Amino acid sequence: MVKTTVLTPGQRSPSARDSEQGIALSHRLPRLALEARRVSAFVNGVHGRRKAGPGETFWQYRMLTPGEASSGIDWRRSARDSKLYVREREWEASHTIWMWADRSASMGFASSLAQAPKVDRALVLALALADALVAGGERVGLLGLTRPMASRRIIERLVEQLACDVAGMDADLPPARAIGRLDEAVLISDWLTPLDKVLAALGSIGVQGGRGHLVMIIDPVEERFPFAGQAELLDLESDLRLDVGDASAWGKDYRVRIAAHRDAIAGTCRKLGWTFTLHHTDRNASETALRLAGLISSSRDMRAA
Amino acid sequence: MLGLPLSFMAPIVLAGLVALPALWWLLRVTPPRPQRIAFPPLKLMADLLPKHETPARTPWWLLALRMLIAALVILAVAGPVFNPQGGQQSASREPLVLLVDNGAASARDWASRVQLAESLIAGAGRDGRAVALAGLAEPASSIALGTPAEAEDRLRALALRPHMPDRNAHLADLQSLLAVAPGSDVAWISDGMRLEADDAFSRRLTELSRNGRVTVHAASAPTMLFLTDVENLANSLNVRVVRAQPGAPSTVNLRASDQRGIVLGETTTLLPASATEITASFALPIEVRNAVTRIEIVGERSAGAVLLVDDSAKRRRVGLVTGVTADVAQPLLSPTYYLSRALGPFADIREPRPGISDPIGQLLDQNLSVLMLADVGGIDKDTTARITAFMERGGVLVRFGGPRLAAASDDLTPVRLRRGGRSLGGALSWDAPKTLAPFNREGPFAELSTREEVSVSRQILAEPDGELSRKVWASLVDGTPIVTAERRGAGLVVLFHVTADTTWSSLPLSGLFVDMLKRIVALAGAAAADIGQTGEARVETVSPVTVLDGQGAFRSPPATARPVPRTYSDRAVHAHPPGFYGPRNATLAINTLKTGDRPAAIDFAASGIATRAIEAPQARDLRPPLLVLALLMLAADTLATLWLGGRLKAMTRARTVAASLLLAVLASGAAALNTGPAKAQTPPQAQAPAQAQAAPPEAAQGNAVPVPREQVAVAATTRLAFVLTGDRRVDDTSKAGLEGLTLALSTRTALEPGEPVGVDPSRDELGLFPILYWPIVAGRPLPGAETMRRLDAFMKGGGFVIFDTRDADAQRSGRTTPEGDHLKQMLSIVDVPELEPVPRDHVLTKTFYLIDGFPGRYDRGQTWIEVLPPPGPDGRGPARAADGVSPIVITSNDLAAAWATDRRGGPLFPLQGSSPRLREMSLRGGINLVMYALTGNYKADQVHVPALLERLGQ
Repeated sequence: MVKTTVLTPGQRSPSARDSEQGIALSHRLPRLALEARRVSAFVNGVHGRRKAGPGETFWQYRMLTPGEASSGIDWRRSARDSKLYVREREWEASHTIWMWADRSASMGFASSLAQAPKVDRALVLALALADALVAGGERVGLLGLTRPMASRRIIERLVEQLACDVAGMDADLPPARAIGRLDEAVLISDWLTPLDKVLAALGSIGVQGGRGHLVMIIDPVEERFPFAGQAELLDLESDLRLDVGDASAWGKDYRVRIAAHRDAIAGTCRKLGWTFTLHHTDRNASETALRLAGLISSSRDMRAA
Repeated sequence: MLGLPLSFMAPIVLAGLVALPALWWLLRVTPPRPQRIAFPPLKLMADLLPKHETPARTPWWLLALRMLIAALVILAVAGPVFNPQGGQQSASREPLVLLVDNGAASARDWASRVQLAESLIAGAGRDGRAVALAGLAEPASSIALGTPAEAEDRLRALALRPHMPDRNAHLADLQSLLAVAPGSDVAWISDGMRLEADDAFSRRLTELSRNGRVTVHAASAPTMLFLTDVENLANSLNVRVVRAQPGAPSTVNLRASDQRGIVLGETTTLLPASATEITASFALPIEVRNAVTRIEIVGERSAGAVLLVDDSAKRRRVGLVTGVTADVAQPLLSPTYYLSRALGPFADIREPRPGISDPIGQLLDQNLSVLMLADVGGIDKDTTARITAFMERGGVLVRFGGPRLAAASDDLTPVRLRRGGRSLGGALSWDAPKTLAPFNREGPFAELSTREEVSVSRQILAEPDGELSRKVWASLVDGTPIVTAERRGAGLVVLFHVTADTTWSSLPLSGLFVDMLKRIVALAGAAAADIGQTGEARVETVSPVTVLDGQGAFRSPPATARPVPRTYSDRAVHAHPPGFYGPRNATLAINTLKTGDRPAAIDFAASGIATRAIEAPQARDLRPPLLVLALLMLAADTLATLWLGGRLKAMTRARTVAASLLLAVLASGAAALNTGPAKAQTPPQAQAPAQAQAAPPEAAQGNAVPVPREQVAVAATTRLAFVLTGDRRVDDTSKAGLEGLTLALSTRTALEPGEPVGVDPSRDELGLFPILYWPIVAGRPLPGAETMRRLDAFMKGGGFVIFDTRDADAQRSGRTTPEGDHLKQMLSIVDVPELEPVPRDHVLTKTFYLIDGFPGRYDRGQTWIEVLPPPGPDGRGPARAADGVSPIVITSNDLAAAWATDRRGGPLFPLQGSSPRLREMSLRGGINLVMYALTGNYKADQVHVPALLERLGQ
């Protein structure tokens, strides 16, 4: 018999345990892969923009255009011949990634088949990605909560903010806040919300052209519904309860419905140009983290192309 | 009902069974509670209505279970009674006088007797009659009529007694009761057995009850078996199995166990149909028989079938004393070793504590049957008188020869002894060791055969006289007596003319020795028993220690148990229940039957009394078992419902434990309910199943005496000691001499003794000093016998005494000096070993310095020391007791005067002698003496060093 547990609000907010797990997971992420991407990346992050601009690395020498301030002249180069040269650097600008993890009551759910409650997974994934991305030179912020930060202690900073955010404990949709055109959003939730609401939330986030990545956390029980016999189902966020009679018979219908819902959300993402990732809480968090890191890198590539 | 003896108290309730189908329908539509599952996706699925709204069916077996519970409850409420007519019915309205035999003879069917009494009381209660109840094995007390409830209470309090009822004691009370209520019915639940000569009680009972309504409930034939008349015969332990009247032949299994309840033997005997008694015998070795304290009939749970055996059938007590220096490290050298090994199987051996000053007296205090003295020489007058008295009372004194006995001169021998024995190679020479001649037919050894190869190489000779031949029990092939004996009063003195160890003969090694000792010990008839009775007239009383309960199990004595005089030999009564009385080492056993008791059957027909059977079918209320069953099934139903609802697995482990605990409590409560209303008959057999071991702790033999503080201080360092003679000049000389020797020891050897001390052997503890210097002063009074016994104990305990007669210059050949006489008198009651002048190769001459003699102030005097044993055939001396250290050295050289120095180290006395190094040599001699006393044969072992090194070198 599958057993389910429900976390209290206190247990759903991030704790030292979550931040430690996030740090550990970020260390497991192949930092090298991200680094490699950074070198070849064209657009984002501290990666050079392949054109002259404010930056650190040398880009090219060009002839001094008349009227330009003389302070830009590279006198060492200019001394070699009779022309005046200006040393240009490559334009560097970091990219911003917005994180959001669902901490509503439905996320505080774990069955005996899962390794961890859903909310734990969501937080661990978000914090791990944030740490890895900051290490890779990006700036990370919490959607609707913080400005983008590139702090080395990004996990602690984010956890502080999350712990203070009591209002976010009830929201099962991300705040409708538009992100910049080049920004990306990573939205982690169980997405157990009617499709139209999800669509509206994503639309208002991406209204300026920003894109994002959707992560759906699923407890195995929510997918398979392995119950039988007399059962009464309780909703966690409302007083809704349903006497399903024979649970095994109801489960057949349920599985069809939940698969359809998932496919619809995935289809929406595709339409919007977002990516969609499924994470089961009976699998390791690092699999999904790796995939997300890859997705974030490749989305830059796509834009570069 | 239906041919069964079953009836209902409220049959109308059975109509409720009709309602069961309705219950069926009702139960079917009430499903078990659904499981509740928290499920987040529900908000998405709220519109997904379940297809099967109908609940899951209640399983048929759960339904059936519930129906059964309902049916059981209905049946129980209807009040079924099984066998309703079983209770005792009587039309009478007169009071009921109920007499119950609760003695040992009722043990076998006690439970059914109590049931019968209960049903009789219950019947009287239904009829509204008054009831009087009396247990006939209880002490007589007034019998009063009361309500049935009171009678029931009294019945519950009535326990099965381990003794036989004394019915006649109740006659007076019965008479007064029947005078008050003349028309009473008398019911007597009888064991049908009597010990008295006639049936006085039943006769009187019919006379008293004028309307003749006496009913006796008794077994058709009293078949209880009893044990009595234990006899510990030569080869077996016999008991009588008795019963009241002939009956079916029965196989009786008997078991004998010891004090701790360990089974020692079992035997089976067949009681023939015609017989009322039969003898059963345990053919066990005597030592096992002696340990038996309890004999019982297996399977007969009754105090009458248990026979307790006390010390009167126990083995003899033998005291062993040896004159030889004790040495626990080499037991094979001790004569008592062979004796205790030989006596052990059939006698209780007592040995004195080592170091005690009066071992013989101490042993004689312990009620001995036999006293064995192995080579004990000087016995002082007091002890001689005590031993003589001991023999007069029937004690047996057995003495063994040896050098000390050969030198002794007491009359505690059956024959006069010739001084000095004869030995192989001695003056009265034998060419070969002698063997034993066949035993003479008159002696106690007549049946023994001397075929065993026993050789005697040395013996003590008897002075030939006319009486001698009558006193000889065993002799050598040449006719010289080897065992002689003589009657002394009621007792006997026996003398073995050889030692109890193997130095003189191989007799102690032979099985013959054991047989001879066995026969001698058997001669010591009732010595111990006599001692008790020839004492003062006061009779000791002994308290009960462990008693039997009615079922024959041991228990601690009840408050009603009273002490008995030691001479008590009657059967057990209420105040003296059967059991063990008195301290453990001298118990008195009281049994249900006394010796010679033969129970007989009461002839009720002769008194004109009708008898009825004891076992009657009982009316049984079936409500409790039905309700309990329903309760248990209800519990099962609860579990099943939990299981169906998926709750059972969800329970934590602790909860499961709690639930099973709850179940257990329910079940036990149910069981109590089951038996509760019926009857609370906890048979007393459950009360004391373990054998009570409530015997007093054995008197501690070697309890530690607190040592005085000054003795501790003295003993803290090794020091030399000298005996205070009372002659001031001699004592000063001794002290100065020992101080000088102490100084020499401290400067030259590793030994640094403390200040020498003077001791008074009559007062001070000698055991604290390894060495005692004893100068002899002629004029002083002789030390008392007590003092010499202490000195003897000191020497045997490993002490070393230097007697110094200080008269070397006065010695002339053929004359004795006053000091010599003094010493001889002193030592006449001490076991002094054979002495010889110190041989040139004695270890005493090598212990520290290599020296030739032991000069003191004089150098002419001879130094005497214990004779070394002759070397064995391989040239080595045998191992010896006390590390081979002689307990005694006698010199006449006035050693202390030679050692004595003044404060500046100068000599105090001039020395007589030619050698200028005399003083040095005397000090060296002293050091050697001290080293000899302290190191023992360690120095002697040094001669083996080359051999040891050679062996190690391999």
